[in-house]
Amino acid sequence: MNKQGSNQHAVGLRQENGQWNFFGYSPLVIILAAILIVLILPAVIYLFQASFHETNFDGSFGDFTIRYYIELVTGERFLNNCLNALIYALGSAIVAISIGVTLAWIVERTNTPFRHWVLILSIVSLGIPSVLYTISFLMLLGKAGPVNQLLMVLLGANEPILNVYSLWGMVIVEGIEFAPLSFLLLSSVFRSTDASFEEASMMSGANILQTFRNITFRLAMPGILALVILIFIRAFESFETPALVGLPGGVSVLTTDIYESIEEMPANYGQAGAFSIMLLLIVGVLLYFYNQLSRKAERFQTITGKGFRPRELDLGQWRWLTFSILVLLFFVIIGFPLGIVFWVSMVPYFDGISLNALQLFTFDNYRTIARAGSLQDSLGNTIALGVAAATLVAPFTALCAWLAVRRHKGAWILDQFATAPLIFPAIVMGMAFLQLILNLPFGLYGTLLSIILASMVRYLPYGMRYSYAGILQIHTELEEASAMSGARQSTTFIRIVMPLVAPAMLTCWLFVFLVSVKAVSIPILLAGPKSQVVAITLFDMWENGITNELAALGMSWTAFMTAISIVFYWLAKRYGLTLR
Amino acid sequence: MTYRILAKRAASALGFTALLFSVHVQAADSILTYKGSDRTAKLVAGAKKEKKLTVYSALTVNQALRPLTEGFKKKYPFVETEFWRGSSRQIAKKVNAEIRANSLVADVLEGSGLSQIMVKARGVVKFTTPLTEGIDKKFLDPNDQWIPSRFSYFGTAYNTKIIPTGTQPKTYDDLLNPKWKGKIAWRIGSETGALLFITNVRQILGDKKAEVFFQKLSAQGLINFRGSARTLVNRVVQGEYPLAIQIFAHHPVISAKKGAPVATQMMEPVVSVNGTIMLPKGVKNPHTALLFVDYYLSKEGQEVLKKARYFPVAAGVKPRKELAPLVPALSGVKENFVSPATLFANRKASTAVFNKYFKSGKTVTVKSKKKKKKKE
Repeated sequence: MNKQGSNQHAVGLRQENGQWNFFGYSPLVIILAAILIVLILPAVIYLFQASFHETNFDGSFGDFTIRYYIELVTGERFLNNCLNALIYALGSAIVAISIGVTLAWIVERTNTPFRHWVLILSIVSLGIPSVLYTISFLMLLGKAGPVNQLLMVLLGANEPILNVYSLWGMVIVEGIEFAPLSFLLLSSVFRSTDASFEEASMMSGANILQTFRNITFRLAMPGILALVILIFIRAFESFETPALVGLPGGVSVLTTDIYESIEEMPANYGQAGAFSIMLLLIVGVLLYFYNQLSRKAERFQTITGKGFRPRELDLGQWRWLTFSILVLLFFVIIGFPLGIVFWVSMVPYFDGISLNALQLFTFDNYRTIARAGSLQDSLGNTIALGVAAATLVAPFTALCAWLAVRRHKGAWILDQFATAPLIFPAIVMGMAFLQLILNLPFGLYGTLLSIILASMVRYLPYGMRYSYAGILQIHTELEEASAMSGARQSTTFIRIVMPLVAPAMLTCWLFVFLVSVKAVSIPILLAGPKSQVVAITLFDMWENGITNELAALGMSWTAFMTAISIVFYWLAKRYGLTLR
Repeated sequence: MTYRILAKRAASALGFTALLFSVHVQAADSILTYKGSDRTAKLVAGAKKEKKLTVYSALTVNQALRPLTEGFKKKYPFVETEFWRGSSRQIAKKVNAEIRANSLVADVLEGSGLSQIMVKARGVVKFTTPLTEGIDKKFLDPNDQWIPSRFSYFGTAYNTKIIPTGTQPKTYDDLLNPKWKGKIAWRIGSETGALLFITNVRQILGDKKAEVFFQKLSAQGLINFRGSARTLVNRVVQGEYPLAIQIFAHHPVISAKKGAPVATQMMEPVVSVNGTIMLPKGVKNPHTALLFVDYYLSKEGQEVLKKARYFPVAAGVKPRKELAPLVPALSGVKENFVSPATLFANRKASTAVFNKYFKSGKTVTVKSKKKKKKKE
């Protein structure tokens, strides 16, 4: 490290101890920064370009214009959709947090039987593609679905009661989808609260509910608020639920506006660009507030130097009530959605749940998907996409994080660049790369490579988070010893740092793999007929009405991904990494 | 498999494609309009070298697209045949992007409402085949940039469990009856869905009267459905939507035959269009593509279409018996045939009507939308 310091004033290009220096910057930093710039900047520039140009009939740029922005500001559509997005995102956050708080409190602070099995929720939900999850709720709550069937019988109505294709439908579906995440993050909040406050409250004569309201909940408040914003942002930039639930019901939000503008004929890339830029700005502002709030949350830290252990409340007979709540939520979050998908996958056509349909049970749908060659291609593509994106992100971010954590000159810029894509909602990233690729002279369009690149950039920030956490755990002594023995920077990284952060990298690898194969927003804009991935295949199957085969494919895929998800959780737990 | 594709793409990124591309185009031009008697022999010889074919089509996968490509593969086993099903708009968007990004995958394009978009975007090439002789001249393109591929007749699908036969709306005006409020769905994001419906009504009533009609229709709270026409009919079968207008008239007939509670009501004058088949600019496998077009228009190909309950265009193949009542020319019902050119010429005005009265996202609920309209 000292060597590094003395070199800082070096001017110009020179070689010292076999290590190149460019104005004091390590060549590694320069190369990595260059890669990041090449990956991110052109796409962003083309996104801006698109929003400032008319779109020709063949999709190329026309004359310069600012009309898309003027239309946004003057038209009622943009404001209206912002309002829809606001209600939708806030509603989803409230639903998710309500379920999350309930689950987390029951699991972390009570002696409810079987409470630790709730982790299954998080594991399975990480394995289900969001498209499938949303579709399962459309099957459940649709007009022909069991919920409406039941309501019609109960209320004696001859028409379906609920219309899921609406704003409240979007809120419910998205809220429940985010419930496991919210549970997971809130668990750590509840776990890290000093129980002595609660004990004091109980000693003073407060009952369980009062204690929860006045002590537990209040101490967790900053954590909950930060989570509200996090889920708000995630819902605000989400695409699957608005596209599948909102659009058929005439409810648009910003992300579906981008998609619809691109789907128009001829594609309205200008409008899509303007929408994207606006979305980018909004998410940027939201993330700023989120960071502010998470920082403030530290002030509420209650774990101090003194010994502490969160206490479990003895609920007595009430524990069977909390147990029933757990069971109910388990069914709502995983049981019913997967149950209906399984049912649909077993019948030749779906027209509601009935005993008669049981006689029609068949494995034909599974046989059909096993035979269809296009599906096998899409499976292959999906795995290639996940493996490639994860394999690119994990070591790359490990290297960036290492340089940044060890404060190499200029390495802060790597951190900044690699975290920047966080403000890009996936659909905007897809749009930006679409514009870039359409304007490149070589044939990247419709290739798997284009999806891999865009996904890699999109998930760099997640990779950074894992790598940072991993690198921070390693003391510099070993690296210094390596440097003293004459190893180059790259040798030190490969021989010393890599093996030490391997667990963190592996967890990071699995996480990027899981999220990139789940995603719809990027491949839906970039995939060609030969680079279809499972999530898009499911989306297309739904739009083309091939529901039963969709269910069969969805079941098989979920089983496979859940297996990977289990490995991920085991690793993350083993090496004490945060699960975001 | 995938890595091989990746490697290939990387190679193309180095600029090899550009080279191959120009060679292909030169070779292609001559064969595309070749009329000699050894045409088929030349095509087969060329196809043996090309060995590959990718078809983009809006035909249904299970009934038509798969049997057609499988039939073609049986006839020419040396060709690796692939297809991709998308709406006409998706096809147009993809192909134009492919052409622009210099990574053309498609060899043959098929869809209704597709041809004029592709012509306008200069994304297609001239080509000829002797098999057009079996097609009525009035349906042919004078510029040889596309060939009619099928006829489509449109009607209204209704769920017979919810709306017993006899009580269904029978005319366009019946659709304005308040009892259908919130029950009518139609397809958006398609050239032959809401847009064609609007064009049809505008042609029948004239723009002025049509405007009044649309105003009333928008008060019915139409459900904008995104997805294929087949899916929409499936939703009608499931009871998700009781009524769907502007659907392919034969879809409910097929489902009803399997026992599904659905039927078609034809509304006079019946609107009809023809689908088109064409080759993209810079087509990579021109010989194989032409062979496929020939196969498609041959008796064999048209029989596949007929079996899939589409309405064939060529080789003297008549539609299936149970579908004859849907064909205005056979049932004596008035018809409004909208040619690809007419369809395209009306697209802007009809889109404007759609955006004015039916576009989603303006208001959150159907109710408040209606109130606003009344105030206006």
